[in-house]
Amino acid sequence: MRVEFDVNGERRSVDVEPRRHLADVLRDELGLTGTHLACEHGVCGSCTVLLDGEAVRSCLLLAVQCEGRSVRTVEGLADGEGPGGLNPLQRAFSAEHALQCGFCTPGFVVLLQGALERDPAVFDDPEALRRLLSSNLCRCTGYEPIRRAALRAAGRDPDAV
Amino acid sequence: MSASTAFQPTRREDVRLLTGTGRYVADLAVDGCLEAAFVRSRLAHGRVRRVDAAPARAVASVVPALAAAALPGRFVVPPFGQPGVAEGRDWEVLAGERVRHVGQPLAVVLAADRYAAEDGADAVVVDVDPLPALVGPQAAAASDVQLFDGLGNVVVEQDHGEPVPQEVWAAAHVVVEATYTQQLLAPVPMESRAVLAAPDGAGGLRVWCSHQAPHRLRDNLGQALRLPPDRVRVTVPDAGGAFGSKSATFPEYLAVALLALRLGRPVRWVEDRAEAFSAHTHGRGQRQRVRLAADRDGRFLALDLDVLADLGAYPHVGVVVPTQTALMATGAYATGHVHARVRAVVTTTAPTAPYRGAGRPEAAYAVERTVEALARRLGADPVELRRRNFIAPERFPHTTPTGRTYDSGDYARALDVAVDALELDRWRTERARRRAEPGARPLGIGFCSYVERTGGDGPLLLQENGSVEALADGSFLARCGTSATGQGHETAFAQVVADALGVDTALVRAVDGDTGEVPHGVGSFASRSMQMGGAALHLAARELVDLARQRAVAWAAAAGPPVPAGSATWDAGRLLLPGGRWIGTGELVTATGELRADHVFRQEAAFPFGCYGAVVEVDPDTGEVEVLRLVAVDDYGTVVHPVITRGQTVGSLVQGLGQALYEEVPHDGDGVPLLAEGLFDYLLPTASEVPPFVLRETRTPNPSNPLGAKGAGEAGCIGVPPAVVNAVADALQLDDPDLLQMPLTPARVWRAARAAGAAS
Repeated sequence: MRVEFDVNGERRSVDVEPRRHLADVLRDELGLTGTHLACEHGVCGSCTVLLDGEAVRSCLLLAVQCEGRSVRTVEGLADGEGPGGLNPLQRAFSAEHALQCGFCTPGFVVLLQGALERDPAVFDDPEALRRLLSSNLCRCTGYEPIRRAALRAAGRDPDAV
Repeated sequence: MSASTAFQPTRREDVRLLTGTGRYVADLAVDGCLEAAFVRSRLAHGRVRRVDAAPARAVASVVPALAAAALPGRFVVPPFGQPGVAEGRDWEVLAGERVRHVGQPLAVVLAADRYAAEDGADAVVVDVDPLPALVGPQAAAASDVQLFDGLGNVVVEQDHGEPVPQEVWAAAHVVVEATYTQQLLAPVPMESRAVLAAPDGAGGLRVWCSHQAPHRLRDNLGQALRLPPDRVRVTVPDAGGAFGSKSATFPEYLAVALLALRLGRPVRWVEDRAEAFSAHTHGRGQRQRVRLAADRDGRFLALDLDVLADLGAYPHVGVVVPTQTALMATGAYATGHVHARVRAVVTTTAPTAPYRGAGRPEAAYAVERTVEALARRLGADPVELRRRNFIAPERFPHTTPTGRTYDSGDYARALDVAVDALELDRWRTERARRRAEPGARPLGIGFCSYVERTGGDGPLLLQENGSVEALADGSFLARCGTSATGQGHETAFAQVVADALGVDTALVRAVDGDTGEVPHGVGSFASRSMQMGGAALHLAARELVDLARQRAVAWAAAAGPPVPAGSATWDAGRLLLPGGRWIGTGELVTATGELRADHVFRQEAAFPFGCYGAVVEVDPDTGEVEVLRLVAVDDYGTVVHPVITRGQTVGSLVQGLGQALYEEVPHDGDGVPLLAEGLFDYLLPTASEVPPFVLRETRTPNPSNPLGAKGAGEAGCIGVPPAVVNAVADALQLDDPDLLQMPLTPARVWRAARAAGAAS
């Protein structure tokens, strides 16, 4: 089946089996391997992408459901190449050592980028931020550095809360 | 320079991992690569009657499908551990005669993509006659059913230390006894196991694998496939965590490597989460019985630890774990008599393996929970009781009754820092207030003073390889025998070498996890990377400086007036010679050829220590535990990279909390893991479960390490569980420590609270 959608601002047209989920199509057909699969049943959030600006699990979505829609992946976040090209959220992750093995990182970064753009009030409410961060799993960092990175990226003081 | 280009990432790994341009095994683009799916046993134990892979071949796009009958005779996982343990207990790559755990591979199907491979796997016909399941080491040790015909289920029996004389128990003022369960845990690295094998075009094999010990994997693959080790190259690309669970040579890896060789095509297997919960190894898995005797003043007289360990279906890397527990049974104390007995048993659940801490969390838990139970029995302050019994700082190096030689330590100092950071007095006041107030939620305080072992021991682990080479462009290449799975070695090792050379870190590139770049190495586990690999690189860098100085003198003689031997001095990558002459290392390499120093660093294990403290509140009506405050005081010796080390502490602390409160792999009576809904059933801590915590350090340098480093990375998994469970026991004022077994689910805590209420 042919499906057309925007990926990181570019129109893409791919022929896919109807059963293939979005994450596999991004990874295998479009070569965007930054979206990682860690559970494939919607629990861990490693495969989070933005669909029309909203954070979704790309392992729970069939690629054919994305016809005509706009998908943003971790590859679409940086402003340019190299360290200087990292966007403020990516910089905050590095500065706070909010990533270790990096496998869950794209999911967290995309999740928080979506919140920064759509729902910045979340960063003023510790309880709301806690709930947001609890939607994804990380086994390395213990989450605290991720929380600090989120606050830093939102221009809040990580030590204040 | 604009502000944006001046941004300095904390680690070299960060930019690629934050932009989606890292490369894990599943991300590698390889032309013509086949994807593998395994057909796995649904029964815990059974005799294989038939595995018919032929129907898989009828499924569109499935290439070959193999069951055991198509494999070379006796194609088994190369043994590991003590000689004799694996004898008669073959771990078949594909089970042809007997299955011994749910998830064991029976057949493998390959196709151009994973979807088609799974379709093919579904078509494979499997017929297995059930045999009785043996769940847990007690049942397996007591059963007449032999998991391996003609051999007992108890695989290992050991004693460490001298048995405690009967009169010591008899004369003691008090003896406490306790029984603890170390539940089975799933390691859950976010990236499960993954391997890609491809023929190298010359009869050999290129392998990419998410692995902690690529050199051992290389040797094992060579041995099993009858290839000389130099015909196999194993590379660890970006790896998504390991925590001890990626150090074995798994049956799936052998099957994939064999198929790649036979077909002359690349083959990849990427484990999915459902497979991982039944087929990947589990951690922990011990039943422990502890007796601790003390005199009237609370001085520890004797400790006896009996460990019944669950090896799962095949005795492999997990065999080393209970031995580590036994060797650490002395803990931080000057106890006169300490004895530990180990029996390790095969069962019909997935094989066990080291998991973050690997035997030391189990030891610290057994000792530290019992110490607090003794304090309660004596009506003594657990903090004072510990102080009275610590090995004194002037007694190091100290050889324990269980045969460990601790290099250095100041246990009382770590405890003092923890007491201070926890604000113990304030919480004790609050505890007293609540105990006096009817209906107030109980509050409890618990500690754990731990000693652990890092670096490794035994001939296998006592060494690591490092080399530093000066390159013609003026930069330096560091090669190390370790293997990073998220710990930032590219960053930390570059810093070690740059510091030793006195050059800018930007001039040093560090490589590990590649047997092609580094022919000899041991790997990364037992928190050994900095202590062993970092030390090897440090010494190699120092040797490179000496070598460069000698070379510069020779060069000077060849290029102009000779200079005296020993007259060249090193200055940040330049060699200064008498008369104002100098040459940079890059030019020196161009003029004189390869300039490289290799060092094999050898060192006995190190013994980091620390103290953890927890304050908890318990809701006796629901059994819910809330951790109000957690303090971690760790002594890792000299810390080389404080940011990365802190990251290790926080991450391991939350994993420790997972064992204490949430995580468990339960099985039904038929040996089927009760995790049908995967990560919905297996509760990993999320951001919501992270309590307020404070980290502190003491620094007692490792006296026999050139960096002063001890290992860091596993401490949180060691210190947190006993501290938290002790705090819950304190909140509930439990006289019987056995009432609390991990994980402290609401149901367990509720029952313990009821039992405590009934007893008082």
